[in-house]
Amino acid sequence: MPKRRDILAIVLIVLPWTLLITVWHQSAIAPLLAIRKDEGAEGKREAGGQDSKEYCASDKDIVEVVRTEYVYTRPPPWSDVLPTIHIITPTYSRPVQKAELTRLANTFLHVPNLHWILVEDSQRRTPLVTRLLRETGLNYTHLNVETPRNYKLRGDTRDPRIPRGTMQRNLALRWLRETFNPNSSQAGIVYFADDDNTYSLELFEEMRSTRKVSVWPVAFVGGLRYESPKVNAAGKVYGWKTVFDPHRPFAIDMAGFAINLRLILFKPQAYFKLRGVKGGYQESSLLRELVTLNDLEPKAANCTKILVWHTRTEKPVLVNEGKKGFTDPNVEI
Amino acid sequence: MDGVFLLFVAIFTAYLGTMATRMKLKLKTVFVLYFTVSLMGLVYALMQLGQRCDCTEHDMAKDRAISRLRDELHRLQAQIRQLEEAKPPQKQPSKSSLPTIFVITPTYARLVQKAELTRLSHTFLHVPQLHWIVVEDSPQKTPLVTDLLMKSGLTYTHLHVPTAKERKLQEGDPSWLKPRGVEQRNEGLRWLREDRRDGQQGVVYFADDDNTYSLQIFEEMRNTQRVSVWPVGLVGAMKFESPVVEGGKVVRFHTGWRPNRPFPMDMAGFAVSLKLVLTNPEACFDGEAPMGFLESSFLKGLVTMDELEPKADNCTKVLVWHTRTEKPKMKREEALQAQGLGSDPAVEASPERKVQQRRDDNR
Repeated sequence: MPKRRDILAIVLIVLPWTLLITVWHQSAIAPLLAIRKDEGAEGKREAGGQDSKEYCASDKDIVEVVRTEYVYTRPPPWSDVLPTIHIITPTYSRPVQKAELTRLANTFLHVPNLHWILVEDSQRRTPLVTRLLRETGLNYTHLNVETPRNYKLRGDTRDPRIPRGTMQRNLALRWLRETFNPNSSQAGIVYFADDDNTYSLELFEEMRSTRKVSVWPVAFVGGLRYESPKVNAAGKVYGWKTVFDPHRPFAIDMAGFAINLRLILFKPQAYFKLRGVKGGYQESSLLRELVTLNDLEPKAANCTKILVWHTRTEKPVLVNEGKKGFTDPNVEI
Repeated sequence: MDGVFLLFVAIFTAYLGTMATRMKLKLKTVFVLYFTVSLMGLVYALMQLGQRCDCTEHDMAKDRAISRLRDELHRLQAQIRQLEEAKPPQKQPSKSSLPTIFVITPTYARLVQKAELTRLSHTFLHVPQLHWIVVEDSPQKTPLVTDLLMKSGLTYTHLHVPTAKERKLQEGDPSWLKPRGVEQRNEGLRWLREDRRDGQQGVVYFADDDNTYSLQIFEEMRNTQRVSVWPVGLVGAMKFESPVVEGGKVVRFHTGWRPNRPFPMDMAGFAVSLKLVLTNPEACFDGEAPMGFLESSFLKGLVTMDELEPKADNCTKVLVWHTRTEKPKMKREEALQAQGLGSDPAVEASPERKVQQRRDDNR
């Protein structure tokens, strides 16, 4: 029948056309995807040492992964394209301080475009930290502010303690606001990293794409294996999977979120609350001035992977030092 | 170019189509015609795959970003090459003939295992010619460690040997009651002895997974001829323990606990040259040795005190710390698990542990 033949003819017209479009589309998208994957794999391969080259069929150019002499004990070269990660670490003098900062630096040395803002809880910048920072070769800023003694020690309700590290973190935020112009195009991410936690390298790459505030799970907090934001099917955070007070505005640990620098600069009044903050509400005191639950960006595969562990280092037993000290006090530990 | 060609094809196809329907051509002719057209288009598109993407013509934001990133990458690569060439001539021989540092790390499954191994691997990644020998206290290799090692980017060997039941610490035992990691370190030594070609230059170092290592310590130990020693921080209930050096030789040890041991130092305070390990196949750690004598049980057959090589500036600098990580408080987790509401075990933060199993494996 002529009608059926017409239909058949039309089908035969459309078929090669769709085939053509599909093939053309794929050939245009594939090099884009492969390049992005290569960029991510690049950084790690630099750090590795023995890997063979990976091949991207469409673009032989980007493929030559550099496998020349490995540059160690030096941070990766600065890139003008990657957003800078500003890491704010409060620290204070105690026997394990140098060890903690050393292994933290060893991790940071693998992260490109990292700016370490180390804030000491001390009257003056100590030579130990000054020397350590200089020797690492990292890009750093060394600040200090001393938490007043009475606030550190007293814990009663009349004069509640300032949570540890608060003044130091606030000083770093103030430094950022004084140093960076909100109108400049310098992309940056702010992350609060305590000196005894453990960070995977993947975490830093996850947070680099933060637009406002991004969140992810943290291990060993709240008396659980891990605490995590609750993410719905649409990829939005709607709650907190914690046992300890899940109804906090932001039931998340300091290590579980990162903020875009622009947000910090545009809201210059946002700081951590110093006094009158209940245990566990410190993070909320800052975040509620910056963002709402709806704006949070879940990372780490929709908050299903653990990329940071809230480890704590044991206080070393120094019983054998005795009252007068047994070891040479001039040796720095 | 692409767009124009495709537009042409589309118009041509449509024209032929209308003609075909109007003129009622034979179906076979139409079929052949379109076959040719689509074949041409396909061939053209396939040819496109093999060539460089012509970014300047498309004006897509993505393409521009890619070419920018690619230029950035090339610049960084060139910079790296420049930095490498600018480095002053090495006093040491080139990378391939650097003595290899074999680091033997016994490890066992507990909550903080993955975190410890992760940050340890970050330190090791900075050290050239390092071979990490990880020995699990386990009857088989666990996926957590296997995966971690694979992704670490390090050169490694993955071994495992379970500790004998009578030597394992039970729940509630203080950590100093029984020596730990004995079988695992011996297994590492055994592997070295069966696998190494004689004449290979190397150093063997026993690194526990919760200590902290500076990068300098590895360069200090690299040229060990027999056994080298250095101070260790935060050990022996003191700020640091250290050999005492006079005239470039170790004369005694500065320690607060049992200084009359043959070698009163911590596992992290010495390294042994590979040659010494290979030429003394009987030397290993004695699990039956009294507390604190583990290191001595290994070293006494290998070296005497005056043969020790002091490092770290004649043992005046602390480059390694005997840190210990707290056991995370799991009160709420245990409470939840009792109700059957524990955290999703499929999420790997730490080795999966059922409540009753934990009692056996806890240390």
